Amino acid sequence: MTGLTLDRVTKVFDDDGGDVVAVDDVTIDIEDGEFLVLVGPSGCGKSTTLRMIAGLESVTRGEIRLGDEVVNRKPPKDRDIAMVFQSYALYPHMTVRGNMRFGLEESTDMSDDEIERKVTETAEMLGISDLLDRKPGELSGGQRQRVALGRAIVRDPEVFLMDEPLSNLDAKLRAEMRTELLRLQEDLGVTTVYVTHDQTEAMTMGDRIAILNGGKLMQVATPLEAYHRPANRFVAGFLGEPSMNFFEMEVRGDRLVGASERTAEPSGGSSPEDGDEFVYPVSAETREAIGDASAVTLGVRPEDVELVRTADGPHDFETVVDVVEPTGNENNVYLAFSSESERTFVATISGMRSVEAGQPAIARIPESAIHLFDADTGEALRNRSLDDLEETEPRV
Amino acid sequence: MRRSIRRLFGGGSGNSDDARPDGGTVTTGRKSALALDGEFVQSLPFWVPPALLVGLFVYGAIGWNVLISLTDWSGLGQPDYGSLDLSMYARLVSDQSFIAAFRNTLVLLVAFTLASLLVGLAVAILIDRGIRFENGFRTVYLLPMSLSFVVTAIFWSWMYNPQVGVINEFLRAVGLGALAQQWISDPRFKLWAVIFALMWQFSGYCMVVYLAGLRAIPTEQYEAAKVDGASTVRMYRRVIIPQLRASTTSAAVVLMVFALKAFDFLFVLFGDTPGPAADILSVMMFREAFSTTNWAYGSAIATVLFALALGVIAPYLFVQYRRGEL
Repeated sequence: MTGLTLDRVTKVFDDDGGDVVAVDDVTIDIEDGEFLVLVGPSGCGKSTTLRMIAGLESVTRGEIRLGDEVVNRKPPKDRDIAMVFQSYALYPHMTVRGNMRFGLEESTDMSDDEIERKVTETAEMLGISDLLDRKPGELSGGQRQRVALGRAIVRDPEVFLMDEPLSNLDAKLRAEMRTELLRLQEDLGVTTVYVTHDQTEAMTMGDRIAILNGGKLMQVATPLEAYHRPANRFVAGFLGEPSMNFFEMEVRGDRLVGASERTAEPSGGSSPEDGDEFVYPVSAETREAIGDASAVTLGVRPEDVELVRTADGPHDFETVVDVVEPTGNENNVYLAFSSESERTFVATISGMRSVEAGQPAIARIPESAIHLFDADTGEALRNRSLDDLEETEPRV
Repeated sequence: MRRSIRRLFGGGSGNSDDARPDGGTVTTGRKSALALDGEFVQSLPFWVPPALLVGLFVYGAIGWNVLISLTDWSGLGQPDYGSLDLSMYARLVSDQSFIAAFRNTLVLLVAFTLASLLVGLAVAILIDRGIRFENGFRTVYLLPMSLSFVVTAIFWSWMYNPQVGVINEFLRAVGLGALAQQWISDPRFKLWAVIFALMWQFSGYCMVVYLAGLRAIPTEQYEAAKVDGASTVRMYRRVIIPQLRASTTSAAVVLMVFALKAFDFLFVLFGDTPGPAADILSVMMFREAFSTTNWAYGSAIATVLFALALGVIAPYLFVQYRRGEL
């Protein structure tokens, strides 16, 4: 077993003379046996990164090391990796047995009996023994998915690469396979790189997650760390559903003043006070974290916004309920600072509390829960304090 | 009938309440019971004329040909349908020139089909590897297909010319003059020269069919095979080519049927007497029927050819039918 290192890996595609940087200077150390999830929106370079590790794309700059060995120039077959494709890519003209045998026949000099024994063992582990003599075309989506996994597992590689392997399954099966895949990976202890655009998969499966955006690595961290201590505004907004509320604020002394509405309507028509409707006083400690930034983005997770009965502090704001989305366990409540305001923010409250659209509500945004990001660079200036959380949820 | 035709054509006669934009569904009065009859009657003008034409000129002609092959009609005069027997077929079996032609036809059928498929596959794979000027190469390879056989036969006859032909000239130029041959007069090479020229003309077609098949295989198949450790050659042999079975079948059927009626090419090269080394059934049929006016004998050869063509097509159609694709 070995770890995998991406050292300043860059991929530049030549697109009709113009260069397109798909992956930009990405450095990740993946430990032996670790489950690393590459996550990001479409076109962020996560699949390209995976394909570079697999050897299906060349590396423009930087190094990929498997253990201590640089594998940049090695063809896929010499890298001791196995890959699960989004479309499974099972060979349609071979039986399941043939599909699983193929890799061993091509890449090892095992005897026929040995191959047969390994295939049978793996099939038993995945519960697909009775499918061995069928062809992929006769299998259901979930069964094909298992065969694709089996084809990778049977080769007993140093590294598993998975490219959105669950995205073709229906929601229920996907949740089942998620747990099963995790259990398998733990049992096998094989270093795994898993690409997904689904943040739930990223959060639930990864030992660590690497968030990519526009080819750049935003953050590599444990799921909880990335959730609670995002390195920048992109990570904060990408993880979490509904996503974090953001407010563009100007720094005025020890107060943050809502800037967005005024910049949205610069030509007047609204009195200056309209822009001042959201004023958030901050403590000295927070003020220090802001430093000399003049504009910041204030972020707060929907579950940290509380609805209270009476406004009795500087962080309580009068709002109007715009829309309520019940999800059963929780209600997503969209709040606006006034009934005319177009801009809303979300609070997640218990599903048992009844709130109705049009009703006034007091929103409390506790200072301990706010994140502040530099308005220009998006870098986190201050993350929420975890003191109040650590008692109930031990960090990983 | 006239009314229904008028309705089908949209009632352009100005009789406005007859013009129905919905294509002529009967909506008033006596409907449902007559609806089926109505549709049947309305569809008649579309399929009856072609059915009659095809029935008469294709199937009728085939039937008549079989009938003639059972007579002993030759020379001028009319066939005598009074005494039908299989004497012509008995004559075929003992005719040395028929046996030679039959054998040549089979050799042509198999060798031409295999060679064209192999060359077409090789070219298709090369083009599919993403070479430069892909469209240019595709056109170059497909172009021979668009030429008339008369044209290609004539210029292959020039190329095969033993004195001034480009093939012998080339062999002599590179010092292999000893290999220069009388390509189209030496009985040892005649048939193979024809097969080679036909392959040149038809491998472009196979290339197109295979290229379409290759393009239908998702790139993940190639990548999965590579990650699984297969070399390029083994990847094609074990993963890609087996998936081209449908392309192979359809191209092979077309080629085999063509091989059976490769008349024009040989006729241009050799006239109706290619000699026993290159004689094939279609040329022999023409010779017997139209040069020596052995009508019944020619018909018998034609019937054998027809049976061979059916033997190629029928399994293909049967498989298609069983898969529900017909």
